[in-house]
Amino acid sequence: MKFLFHNKPIEARPGDTIGAALYRNGQRIFSRSFKYHRPRGLMCVSGKCPNCLMNVDGIPNIRTCITPAREEMTVKAQNAYPSLETDFLSITQRFDWLMPVGWYYKTLTYPAMWHAAEPTIRKVAGLGEILPSAPTEYEHAWAHAETGVIGGGWTGMQAALAAAERGEQVILIDDQAALGGQLLYRESAGQMPGDVIARLQSTTNIRILQNSYCFGLYEGNLLGVLQRDPHTAVSERLIHLRARQIVVATGAYETPLLFPNNDLVGVMLSTGVLRLLHLYGVPAGRRAVIVGESAAAEEISAELGAGGIELMAIVKPDAVIRATGAGKVDGIQTQTGHISCDLIVICGPRVPDTGLIAQAGGKIEWSDAQGAFLPTVLPRLVTAVGDAAGESIANTGIRFAASKRAFVCLCSDVSSTDLCDGIAEGFDQIETLKRYTTATMGPCQGRMCQLSAIGVCVRETGRSFAQTGMTTSRPPNPGVTLGALAGPNHHPVRRTPMHYAHSNLGAVWMDMGDWQRPRYYTNRSTASEADRVLLEYHSVREAAGLIDVSTLGKLDVRGADSGKLLDKVYTHRFSDLRPGRVRYALMCDEGGVILDDGTISRLSEGCYFVTTTSGNLDFVHQWLEWHLSCTKWDVRITNVTAGYGAMNLAGPKSRDILRELTDCDLDSTSFPYMACRQAEVKGIPAILLRIGFVGETGWEIHCPAESAEELWRAILDTGREFGIQPFGVEAQRLLRLEKRHVIVGVDTDALTNPYDADMGWAVKLDKNDFVGKRLLTHAQTTKDQSREHLVGFVLQAPGLPPDGAAIVVDGQPAGRVTSSRYSPAKTAGIGLAWVKTEKAQEGALIDVRVDGGLVKAKVTMTPFYDPEGRRLRQ
Amino acid sequence: MSFQLPCPNCGNRSVYEFRFGGEMKQTPGSDAPVSEWQNYRFNRVNAAGIQAEWWFHRSGCRQWLQAVRNTISNEVLESFLPPEHRG
Repeated sequence: MKFLFHNKPIEARPGDTIGAALYRNGQRIFSRSFKYHRPRGLMCVSGKCPNCLMNVDGIPNIRTCITPAREEMTVKAQNAYPSLETDFLSITQRFDWLMPVGWYYKTLTYPAMWHAAEPTIRKVAGLGEILPSAPTEYEHAWAHAETGVIGGGWTGMQAALAAAERGEQVILIDDQAALGGQLLYRESAGQMPGDVIARLQSTTNIRILQNSYCFGLYEGNLLGVLQRDPHTAVSERLIHLRARQIVVATGAYETPLLFPNNDLVGVMLSTGVLRLLHLYGVPAGRRAVIVGESAAAEEISAELGAGGIELMAIVKPDAVIRATGAGKVDGIQTQTGHISCDLIVICGPRVPDTGLIAQAGGKIEWSDAQGAFLPTVLPRLVTAVGDAAGESIANTGIRFAASKRAFVCLCSDVSSTDLCDGIAEGFDQIETLKRYTTATMGPCQGRMCQLSAIGVCVRETGRSFAQTGMTTSRPPNPGVTLGALAGPNHHPVRRTPMHYAHSNLGAVWMDMGDWQRPRYYTNRSTASEADRVLLEYHSVREAAGLIDVSTLGKLDVRGADSGKLLDKVYTHRFSDLRPGRVRYALMCDEGGVILDDGTISRLSEGCYFVTTTSGNLDFVHQWLEWHLSCTKWDVRITNVTAGYGAMNLAGPKSRDILRELTDCDLDSTSFPYMACRQAEVKGIPAILLRIGFVGETGWEIHCPAESAEELWRAILDTGREFGIQPFGVEAQRLLRLEKRHVIVGVDTDALTNPYDADMGWAVKLDKNDFVGKRLLTHAQTTKDQSREHLVGFVLQAPGLPPDGAAIVVDGQPAGRVTSSRYSPAKTAGIGLAWVKTEKAQEGALIDVRVDGGLVKAKVTMTPFYDPEGRRLRQ
Repeated sequence: MSFQLPCPNCGNRSVYEFRFGGEMKQTPGSDAPVSEWQNYRFNRVNAAGIQAEWWFHRSGCRQWLQAVRNTISNEVLESFLPPEHRG
C-alpha cells in the first residue's frame, strides 16, 4: 500500500496510520509550530497533541498519528514554507522578544493597525488552510442505548459486559482502531485476555463503535459521537447518541514535562514511544534517555530494551537542565553532564480524562494525594470508572519550571515564561490567564497543557491547586469539523405538481421558503426578464393568464362547530357564510397584529376550505389546533396542501376558456364574484373559487394534485387561441400591486393591525369574542395618530425605489417603501409605503429616496387600477 | 438544550421534535381592561423554576400538549394532553 507525501510515494503496512508509516520511512518533522515555526514531531501518537496535524486529501488539520493510511491518499504538511525541513518563517523565533505574550493587544491598538497587520499575521501564524472544494461527505445518524460506555480499555470493556449481562442494550464507544486501550501497547498494564474481546464482539446486545470519539456530553445524556470513516461514501459520521446511563471509562493520558526545549523533535511521551513500538513495530529512536520518576521510568526502560532501543540513561525530572539539538534532539544536558541521544522519553504526569464529566455538570477537584484533578460529584446517571475516576493515578514531584523555551502550550507556542509574564501583568486567575495567553485554547483543547498551565499558575501565585482550579470544559472537545456538524450536503425543496410543465416552458425559478416557483417564463425567447414579465402582465390584463398557486396552504376544516372556530380565530364572520360563497379571511393575534390572510370557502354546511399564505401554513394550522385544544368542539382540521394542485386563471378571456372545459355555469349572475362551486373541469373534479388577487375576472381552481399538470396543460391548450400566457410570481406581484392588494409579511410587519392597512372592513367588531377583539376595539376607537399608515403612492418623476427605501417629509425620515414596481396602467412608478398618519390622505405629497436622491410622489388611498373593482366582477 | 420531553401519545422524545408554545396563562375575559390584555399579549413571567407550558409535537403526533418543566434543570415533571373543558 502506498500513499503520497508531497508527491513522494510512502510505503505503508496494513494497520499503519499515516503517522506511523511516515515515521518508519524516516520522516521526523511532522509540523511547524503556530507562532515560531519550530519543528515538531510525533509526541503522543494518540491524537491528543497538535504535533502531527497535516492536510490529507484536501482536508486540513487531520491528526495523522491516528488516521489509517490508505492507498493513494495525498498527504501534505501545513504552516511550513517551502518545506517542513526548511521553513523560512522559523526566523520568527529570533524575534520572540518582539512578540511577548499579548503583544498584539499592546501594539496593534488602533483598528487601522490591526487591519494592516492582520493579513500577515494570518499568513504567518496558523494551522491548515481550508479548501472549499475538498470532496468530503458527512452524514448524521441517531442511536439509542440503555447504557453508553465511553472508552474501549479494560474497564470500559468490563463495564460493557456487565451491563450486557444485566440485559441492557449497550453501545461501546472507542476512539482507537481496536479495543484494548493500554493493554494493546503496555506490557506492564497486563496481558490482553483474548476471550474478553471475543465475548464483547459476540454479545448481541453490545454495539461497538470503533474509531469514534465523544466530543460532548449534553443535557439529557445526549452524547455527540464522531465516527471516522464509517463507510467509503462519507469521511465522518456524527452520531446523536442518547443513553439512559453513561459510563465514562475514558482513562488517563500522559502529559509533557516542562524543561527548556521540551518541544524538540525526538522528545516523546513514553506512551507515544510504546504505541509506535507495539502497535506499528516502529522504534522511535536508537539511543534513548528516559526522563521520569524511578518506578515509572523503570517500567518503561524494560519495554524499550525489548524493542531494541538502547537506553543511555534515566534522568529524574529535577535533574534536567535542557534538551539539546537544532530542531531535532541530539542530547540532554543534566546537572551531572551532557548525554548524547536521539530520543528523550518523557514519563509525564497522567491526567484523568474527565472533560465529559465536567461538561455534564460533574464536579472535578484536586487531589493532593494523587496529584490530579478527579471527579468528586458525578452528574445523575453518569458514572466514572478506571483511570478516569482516578483509580491508578499517582503523580508525584511534578516540576513547573519557568523558561522561554519550556513550552506549556504546543498548540500556540506559549512558554512557561509567557504564563509568568501574564500572571505578572495581573491575569493571575486561571480563566483570565487562559484567555490572555491562549494556553489551553488550541486544537488540543488543553489536553497537553492544562495541568502545566495550572501548575505554573500555582507556583507563581502561591495559591494551592485546589484554589487555582481548572478552566471550564466545554464541548466540542476534541474539535469537530464544521462539515460533520452541518451534515449531509443537501437541501430539501418542494415542487408543485406542475413543476415539469413549468420547466418545459422555460421557467426561471425562485425560492419561496421550501418551495420553488416560476418567477417568469422565457418560453424559448431571448427577451429580457422585464420584457417577458410585461408580456405576461399584458396577457392577464388584455386576454388571459394562468399561474400556479399550488403553494398556497390549504386546510380542510369540517365538523358541526367549524364555523364557531373560524369565527373565533379569524376577524371576519364565517358561521353565517352560505355554502357556495367565499370570504376574505384575516387572522390577528391577541394584540391585533395581522398574522396571516387567505380565503375561506364554504363548500357545504359542515365543510370549509381554508387557504393560507404559502409560508404560514404550519403556523396557521397549529394556531387553529391550539385554539381548538381546550374545547370540546366538533372540528377536524386536515392539511390538504399537498393533496391539491391549484392554479389561477385570470383575465377578460378566462370565462371563454374555462367554458370550453366545464359544464359549470360560469355566468356572473349564477357564479358571481366571491362564489365557489365544485365541478368537473376537463373531467377532473375541482373546486372553483371566483376570486381575483390580480384584479381581473378569474377563477382559482383546486384539483387533486395528481391531475393538476393535466389540467394546467388543458387550460393552456384551450386558451392558446384566446391569447393565454402562463405567468409567474413577478407578473403577479405587479398585477396585485396595481390593485393595492397587500401581501402579509411583505407589506405588513409585526406591528401592523388591520386599521393601519385599511383593512378594517375585514374586522367584525360586532361579533362575539374573537382573537384580538379587545385590542382591535381599542385601536379602532382610539385612532392613535402616532401610528403609521399603509398608503399607495405614485411617483411624479422617473425612477423606482428599492424595497425598504426611506420616505422623507420635510427633510425628516417619515416612513418606508414596502413594495414598488413600474405600473403600465399608471405609466409611472407605484408602490406601497408606511407613512405617518397625517400624510395618509389622498393627494398628499411625500418624497421617496431613489438612487441617492429624492423623488416626489403623490399618496393615494385607492387602488391604482380599476378602483371600483368592475373588472373583477364582470 | 437537549432534554427529552415525554409526549403523552408518543413517549419520551428529543425536545427538537417539539415546538415551544409559550407559558400557560389565563386568557383575560372579553371585557377585561386593555392593560390586562396587553399584559397577556406582551409580558411573560419567565419563571426560573417550575413552569407550566405549551408544547406542540411537530415531528410526532402533531398534538398540542401541556408540560410542567423546571426551567433551571430542564427536568419535565409531567406532561398531559390539554383538558377539554376550559374553552
